This record gives sequence, structure tokens and C-alpha cells, in this order.
Amino acid sequence: MRVALYVTCLVDLMRPSVGFASLRLLEAAGCEVIVPEAQTCCGQPAWSAGDRDLASDLARKAIAELEGYDYVVIPSGSCTDQICNVYPQLLSGDSLWGGRAQRLAERTYELTTFLADVLKVSTVPSEFDGSVTYHDSCKGLRTLGIKQQPRELLLRTPGAAIKEMADCEECCGFGGAFSVNFSEVSTRIVDRKCDSIAEAAADAVVGGDLGCLLNIEGRLRRRGDETTRVLHIAEVLAGGEES
Amino acid sequence: MSAAKHSQAMHFHARAGENVRNPVLQRALQKAKPLFVGKRAKGIAALADDGLEFEMLRTACEGIRNRTLADLDVWLDIFEERAITSGAEVLWARDGEEVGRLVVDIARRYGVTKATKSKSMLSEEAHLNEVLAKAGVRPVETDLGEYIVQLAGETPSHIIAPAVHKTIEEIEALFAKEHGRPVETRTSADIPDMTREAREVLRQHFLSAEMGISGANFLIAETGTAALVTNEGNGRMVTTLPKVHVVVTGIEKIVPTLEDFATLMRLLPRSATGQTISNYVSLLTGTKQPGDQDGPEKTVFILVDNGRANLLGSPYQDMLRCIRCGACMNHCPVYFSLGGHAYGWVYPGPMGSVLTPLYTGIENALDLPHASTGCNQCGSVCPVRIPLPKLMHQLREEQVERHLRPWSERLALKAWAWVAGQPVLYRWLTRRAVRYLNWLADDAGRIRIFGLAPGWTAGRDLPVASGRTFHELYKARK
Ligand code: SF4
Repeated sequence: MRVALYVTCLVDLMRPSVGFASLRLLEAAGCEVIVPEAQTCCGQPAWSAGDRDLASDLARKAIAELEGYDYVVIPSGSCTDQICNVYPQLLSGDSLWGGRAQRLAERTYELTTFLADVLKVSTVPSEFDGSVTYHDSCKGLRTLGIKQQPRELLLRTPGAAIKEMADCEECCGFGGAFSVNFSEVSTRIVDRKCDSIAEAAADAVVGGDLGCLLNIEGRLRRRGDETTRVLHIAEVLAGGEES
Repeated sequence: MSAAKHSQAMHFHARAGENVRNPVLQRALQKAKPLFVGKRAKGIAALADDGLEFEMLRTACEGIRNRTLADLDVWLDIFEERAITSGAEVLWARDGEEVGRLVVDIARRYGVTKATKSKSMLSEEAHLNEVLAKAGVRPVETDLGEYIVQLAGETPSHIIAPAVHKTIEEIEALFAKEHGRPVETRTSADIPDMTREAREVLRQHFLSAEMGISGANFLIAETGTAALVTNEGNGRMVTTLPKVHVVVTGIEKIVPTLEDFATLMRLLPRSATGQTISNYVSLLTGTKQPGDQDGPEKTVFILVDNGRANLLGSPYQDMLRCIRCGACMNHCPVYFSLGGHAYGWVYPGPMGSVLTPLYTGIENALDLPHASTGCNQCGSVCPVRIPLPKLMHQLREEQVERHLRPWSERLALKAWAWVAGQPVLYRWLTRRAVRYLNWLADDAGRIRIFGLAPGWTAGRDLPVASGRTFHELYKARK
């Protein structure tokens, strides 16, 4: 089974360890993993800004480099949503690309969904010593229905205990450009998330989207919380091997 | 466009900042949010007790609203005919100004000096209180929240809880001043007392007003009836005691049959306040007939367009399904961070971020469609399944198409997208970028002040990695 790993631009830039953790997880599950070389960004920032043309250009680029594999796996609900839900709609009027977008969407999965629902893995390669609280990122939760998959995988991780936080489905306030353009509002929202995290008193807060995690980690640290670890689900499941 | 001149939506950014920093407002909002969310959740869960299911009901409600909108003119004709048959007068208003003129005309005809009002957002669209006051008619808001807002000289900050932005201390201060008594220390246990106090004052107004003005939650075409869904009973007083009753409402509020109304009522109160049914549901048809105990001698419907008809057949038609339950704002992280006034016009929250640009001009509310994290908490609770994030997205696209975005944003986006289209150049630049980030970071691997995105580091650190990109490390490893 040939699986293309799409690491996302944010992981490439801000936390490569998430990409390597995803790689290890997929390989441990028996996949032949290829990291397509030309990948850059799925184009979501352009699409969110309302620029269909730029978003379509980047969509075509991504489709061309990702369509030759059995599956495409992405450690992000938000980028997966872009490929699975936005691309087909963006290119629906394009006789050449519309069908290709649709076929790619059918083979593209968010990491935990792929592990839990497609591969149905029964073990994960790591151990984790401590308690975790899971933040459900909005796109993954509300457009892809990711809820049980990460929790199932965490339950299979020896040593990890799940402590649910209150309002785990509440938005963290990231929202891409929103976090910079409406910085004060965004900070106010993530403050409520940080309160819930503090109340849950887990050793680590875990999520599936690096954007949200950077937002949460950045705010926790600014508030003076130096101890709560902020981890991507892939990092927890694959163990702490350094990149 | 008449609505545009009253809109403050262009100041969203500044207002949002001020409101986030306002501790009194934050206290009020912080208190209200869990109540709204919790009550709705219970109300929706309780559907199961009646053997009902949320998604099925949603489909039914969405269907009713879509069917109505598909033949809106036909249903409006039927409504008009039936309303006239039962003794009411039906007038049409193109915009808010025309609403004002019509209401003032009616007031003059019947020698009205005071008008009691029950909640109507359309009256806000028309700035009716201002217009009435200028014409020598005293408007008295009788919904408790609206009464508070009127005393404060403000506008509602929420469509079903107009004074949600006020703390009990602020309300006490307003009451003490208006009711001519010293300020007392109040807790939430005093709310019934304070409500009674307001009622005492309002009672005199109910009895002396010559005109009652209300909105309508729905207009039922087959019977020519206005349906009013309230919790305080003030709606009944307003619509039955004065000799003239004026209903001001939008043309999209129509539903074909009483049965359709009953279906929508399964979700409206539950979505709004979590109640199975509101305390009062009034169905008002025509005028007082011989033998009737009460009711107005004259009933006038003013059916208002004010931008609605333009949405029919447009990519935004879905928005007309709105039944004004408020669930979208109650579940909106942005709304609950800054309150309703920041949105600058009548409707706040996600539905306002769509309606304000559509009714007052896209160019007059540029921030609103962007004032969203895209979380879709609104879209997933809306009882008539309005895809609010999608509509906000369409508005963003329209801003780009109409060249309404700042050139700096456009340029940055184009440059970035161009680079992202050239993998070799992209790799080269990102390698440099992460080294730069790493150089900026402190020993803990965090940037505290980041000149390129000051918005990020205003409230947060920026955690960065080792100074190598994933692709660079991956290549080296192979
Ligand atoms: S948009 Fe939907 S959730 Fe918001 S007020 Fe209208 S009906 Fe209610």
C-alpha cells in the first residue's frame, strides 16, 4: 500500500517532529510511505482570504503531485478538509480537474482517521507516561467527524490516561489569519481554552492540528504555564524519538 | 442605501478591541454564555422524550423555509388577502425610512401620543423609536431587556436577550434613576423583585398607550395570522390593550400553514432558550370582533423588504431561512468575546456578519465576514441549517472580486501563493525563514515579539522548532 504523506506547510516550518512522527506511525502500520517532494501548501490561506484563483492554482498543483498514490494522509484536519471538501467544490466547474479533485478527495485521510478507521490499527508504537486532555479542532470535528478516532488511539497507548477538559469542542480561537488580524479577540478566545486546560490539570494537551496547538501553547506560555506539554497526537502515538 | 448611514460596522475592529478590554462587559458575557449553551443542549436532548430527533426536525424546518422562499410572492399574496378578510390592513415598506413614515402616519390618524412596543428587530432596522420621538409619539419598550436598553439609551446587543451585555449593577443603577429611588445592592436573587418593579411602571404605560407595536416571529399565510413567541407576557398587553396594533415585520417571516408553524415551533424555543415551548405563544388574527373580550380596533401589518427581496435567487438566499433564534450567536466564540454592539448594526454574531453586509452594503462592513475563526459552531446549531461560514466565505470572495481588500493584503497573498507554486524556490526560502525564526527565539525556543506578525505575539508566544524544515531534515536523513 503506497501512502503519500502530506506534512502540511505549518509542520514543515514550525514543528518537523510531527511529520516524522506521522511517518513512523504509518510505517509501523505497514505502509510504504512516500513524501512527495514538490509539496508546499494546500492553499487554504488563499481560499480563506476569498481568493478563488490563487486557491485553485495551488489546488491543481497539489492534486497533480498527490494523485498517484493509494492514499494521501495528512496530520491535520484543516488541510484534509481543504483537499476533501474544498478542492472538489473549487474545481467543480473545471471539466479536467473537477473529476481529479473528486478522486483525490476520496483517497485522502486525516492521520488518526486513517489509522483508526482505514488501517484499524490495534497497537501504537509508543508509550506515554502521563495524562492527556484532547482538544477537538473545529474543522476535523465538525466537517470530518473526527472525535472518537484520536481517543481510541490514545486508549491503545500504554501509560496515557485521558482526562477530558470541559468544552473540549470549543474553538481555540486560531482561525488562521484571524489569529493575527483579530489578535485581541483571538487571545480572548484562547484564554477560555487555556482555562479549561488548566482545570483539566493533565500533563499534556493534545490535538490534531498544529495551528491550534501553536495558538494554545503560545498562550499557555505567555500566561506563565511552563509545564503543561502541548503535543500533536502523532507525537504522542509515535513516541518521543527526536527528529 | 438608507441602512448604511446608521451602520457602524466599519468600526468593528476598533470596537472589538475596546470590548475585549472592557472588564464589566466581559463579566456579563462570561456569565451568559454557559447558560445559553447549556439550556439549548438540554432542550435539544429533551426532543428524544417526545420521540423526536434533531436532524430530522431540522430537515423539516429547512424544507418549510425553502418551500416558502421558493414562492414567496404567492404566500405573501395569500397572507395579504386573508389578513384583509379578517379585518386587518396590510401595508408594504421598501426600507426602514418607509416603515417610519407609515407608522407615524398611522399614529397621526389615530391621535397617538404614546406607543408601547414589544420586541421587534425590524423596528431597530427602521430606527423607529427615534422617528416616533421626533414625531411627538413616546415609544415605550416593554420587553424587560428592551426596557433596560432603552433606559440606557443603547441598542440591543443580542436578538433575543437585548440587555445581555449589562451586569445587574448597571441595571440597578438605571432602575434607581428612572424609578426615582436610591441604589441598592443587588444579587441575582433580586431579579424577580427588579422585574416586578419594572412591571409596575410598565403597567401604567400599557393602560395609557393608544398604539401597540410588535414584531412577528412568523406570519401564517393560510389564516392571515401573526404569531408572537414571547416569555414575558408583555407581547399580549402590547397587542391587545391599545386600540391600534401595528405589526412590523420582514417579508421573509411568512410560513404557509399553521401546521408548518407548529413544526418550526418545535425548534425555535429550544434553539433560543432551551424551552420546549415559550411561556406565551399568541396567534393574532384581524381585529376585535363583536363579542371578543379584548383586542385592537385596528390592526395594521407593515411588511418590510429593506434588502430582503434582493437575496431571493442570489447565492445568499439561504440566509432568508433565518428564524431569529439566536443560537448562532450563543455558540459563537467571537460573539461572546466582544458582545453584540461591536458588530455595528442591528444583527450581531454570525447571522449579523452575513446580514449586515447584505443589507447595508458589502463595502460598508468589510471586517464582518472575516470576523470568524471558521469553527462552524454556528452552522452546526442553526435549526434551519443555514451554512453561515459558507455565506461568510462567499462574502469574502465577493470582496476580493470587487477589489475591496487592502492592496497590502492582496500583494502579500499573491507573492506567497506564487512562491508556494515554485517548490525549489519555496524550499530555499523556507529554509532561510526557519533559521531566521530560530535566531529570533529565546533559549526556551520561543519568540516573544515578532515584527512580521505582531498580532500573534501581542497575546501569545510563538513556539519555534530547531531551525530546520521538515523537508530539509527528511532529505538529509535519506
Ligand atoms: S442564523 Fe440560524 S441560528 Fe442564527 S438566528 Fe437565524 S435561525 Fe437562529
